Amino acid sequence: MLQTRRLELSEVEKSLITDEHRATIGVKSEGRKVEISAADASRMRDLLGDTDPRYQDGTGIAPPYVLAAIDPGIPRHMMPSVLPGGLLTQMEWKFHRPFRLGEQLLLEHSVIDIRDRLGGRYGYSVIVMIQSTYTGEDGDLVAESLRTLTQFDPGKARDNS
Amino acid sequence: MTGRYFEDIKVDDELEPLERMPSEDTAIDFFGRGNPTNPAFADAEAGRRQGFGGALVPGLLKISWMAEYAGRWAGPEASVKSIRVAFRRPDIAGKPLVLAGRVVDKRQEDGRNVVELEVVTLADGQPSVRGNIQVEVPSRG
Repeated sequence: MLQTRRLELSEVEKSLITDEHRATIGVKSEGRKVEISAADASRMRDLLGDTDPRYQDGTGIAPPYVLAAIDPGIPRHMMPSVLPGGLLTQMEWKFHRPFRLGEQLLLEHSVIDIRDRLGGRYGYSVIVMIQSTYTGEDGDLVAESLRTLTQFDPGKARDNS
Repeated sequence: MTGRYFEDIKVDDELEPLERMPSEDTAIDFFGRGNPTNPAFADAEAGRRQGFGGALVPGLLKISWMAEYAGRWAGPEASVKSIRVAFRRPDIAGKPLVLAGRVVDKRQEDGRNVVELEVVTLADGQPSVRGNIQVEVPSRG
């Protein structure tokens, strides 16, 4: 038991987060145009069984969860990769106005934090927080998302069932 | 789909539970075109290689289910303003998820009627995702 504890402490002393990883904090990605597509909105609406009349065909408005289609993840080259496994552990969406079908939004990402975590299912893991903004053609902030990813070593999982 | 008014909503009101059944195909159908990003979302074997009991249910699908659930409860004159969730345990395709929720706060803020909901997904009766959703609702007046 004591030996295990010593091992965990020595792991804490050896953070796997490097200066190179930390250098990604605060760097904004190059903006990418994303389109609120009628096909995405319709497919997701049908799958979720959403009968809200505001989002039906012909209204020109997309449901808020269409955000999942236009931003499934940040570009791989932007993600500081410390450990091989990764899971989305927290997510926040904020909506400032409804999405309009066919509109183009400017999507920008930035890593806002990277930190070590000890304990839980994987023993040692790394927390990465990424903020994304969606700006309309008039420069208005349409939506924001904040995602927290936990990176881990799958080989060290204690119980994943 | 019926709407709710600020005056009629009470703290501790409960949302009627709603069952969803995620399958291995649900992720493909949800993301469409070239997604999903993680092979474990649509392939049980890939999920097992990552240390899970089968194909994973994508977090973005679960947050979308929760946003739709809140919007369904609030009605077509309301709007979901924000949703914040914590994924507590991985969910495996083929196991039903039950959405449940309750009103935890209501207030007027800058002339807006804001209702705060606490929503969970339950797998085998245990919470797998916990979320807080802010909804703006209309007033009768």
